Amino acid sequence: MPRLLALGIESTAHTFGVGVVDSDGRILSDVKKTYIPERGGIHPREAAQSHARNAVNAVREALADAGVKIEDIDLIAFSQGPGMGPCLRTGATVARTLSLSLGKPLVGVNHAVAHVEVGKLVTGCRDPLILYVAGGNTLITCLVERRYRVLGETLDIAAGNCLDHFGIMAGIGPMPSAERLAQSGREVRPLPYKVKGMDVSFSGLLTAAEKLLRDGAPLEDVCLSITETVYSMLTEVVERALAYTGKNSLLVVGGLARSRRLSEMLGSMCSDRGVSMYVVPPDLAGDNGPMIAWTGILQYLNGQTLTVEESVVKPRMRIDEVEVGWRG
Amino acid sequence: MERLDFEEGEVLRVGAESVIKAVRWRGLELVRKHRIPKKYRRPEIDERIRRSRTIHEAKTIVTLSENGVPVPLLIFLDIAGSSIYMQRIVGVEMRDYLVDGVDFSGAAYELGRITGLTHSLKISHGDLTLSNILVAENGKMWLIDFGLSLFNATLEDLAVDLHLLGRSLESTHPSLHRRFMEMFMSGYSEVAGSAQLSKIMEKVAEIRRRGRYVVRAGT
Repeated sequence: MPRLLALGIESTAHTFGVGVVDSDGRILSDVKKTYIPERGGIHPREAAQSHARNAVNAVREALADAGVKIEDIDLIAFSQGPGMGPCLRTGATVARTLSLSLGKPLVGVNHAVAHVEVGKLVTGCRDPLILYVAGGNTLITCLVERRYRVLGETLDIAAGNCLDHFGIMAGIGPMPSAERLAQSGREVRPLPYKVKGMDVSFSGLLTAAEKLLRDGAPLEDVCLSITETVYSMLTEVVERALAYTGKNSLLVVGGLARSRRLSEMLGSMCSDRGVSMYVVPPDLAGDNGPMIAWTGILQYLNGQTLTVEESVVKPRMRIDEVEVGWRG
Repeated sequence: MERLDFEEGEVLRVGAESVIKAVRWRGLELVRKHRIPKKYRRPEIDERIRRSRTIHEAKTIVTLSENGVPVPLLIFLDIAGSSIYMQRIVGVEMRDYLVDGVDFSGAAYELGRITGLTHSLKISHGDLTLSNILVAENGKMWLIDFGLSLFNATLEDLAVDLHLLGRSLESTHPSLHRRFMEMFMSGYSEVAGSAQLSKIMEKVAEIRRRGRYVVRAGT
């Protein structure tokens, strides 16, 4: 089979990412343009406008960095969901335009599947249990009967969202601020620890942490308490899922895969259980174009392409909507 | 004080948070469920969690057995040792019972009835997955593992039980999911009533719509 080249466009939230990847799994370029709100969290429409302004340059840079011409690209992949509607639509518009003007196939990729697949690609792990933990998502999944089945997830807000929101409220900004300040914390205060089966709930914990701060607890202590509690809960549900599925490897993907403390806790649990742990490298932990391009290749080879009419974005797309026809 | 002359035997099961050992005491076959310290957690958090879950589980199984829900009988509670001594149930986990070709409709119906009974006491299980349901050789079903259970459970807490069970099936036995839940629900509504069942199912649907993707908060 001749080598294929895919251009992947990621635009689910604050990152507009474009990457070029080939069918041997080589990442040839990885361009990110990140929208940083002046204050507070992401405003979806402002993020989408920022993506629209950056799109052309990002595509140009990704091609230049990869040393390929636009005509060399065999397929265009884009993140179809889940994510923020306005952001998704911007990426989808760019992808449709390229696909139509070049006459190349269009592939719609599930953002969560893409995080998992790029993690598998670069770590080389096989048939793992997966923890996908980020600003917008928290889920535990593994491949069963050709779909990524959800074993556990958040019942309200994502782990990253909880820590980001806390940091913004406390005036220190989103992650990794809370984790950095936690290093000088001294006392762990009790905070709600809500685990239900393999699910977690963080909203009560966030409210309680905010109250602790208002009541005068030192910021470093609250940072320590909230990060330790969130990571303990995540590690616990991952351990439950490992016990439940009997898997002997764990793959950690998503923005919070960059957290040293979370990796340390998961690593400690895994070594006690004799489980091998794989963590996606930092540059591919957050949202990125190459993960979309690589998953696009897997889907394309499996015959999963879209017509423009079918390419409507799915802000609430689920990970188990995707049929996984490639190897586990 | 009278000495507690437990004779500890073999390890029966190593779960995610506890070790179950066979124990003999005055001719009775028991198990000791010991919630083991977790090295990954800071001790302040770890001790609080293990202690509260141990106490909680003991309270719940006492209440449930008084009300006729099939759970192991509590024999002895060792709070300092975060251990519960209880009746030994011999059976297979529902997850392993659901092999290809097994007729599970009676079991699913009965599980629905038991869950409905638990819920009618305003108690949620909190971890209702296929590995926390034991099926004995005579077909009798037992609920175990109540560390995450809640008293005065809200509609949301009860709905989470059904959500967890449904997802546990979906993730490991996707082909049985629909039929199993149908039978489960008919058993459930026999005890709890169909009005309560539809209220819960509405809540389950709401829970499932949540959590998929939450727009990052902030102002």
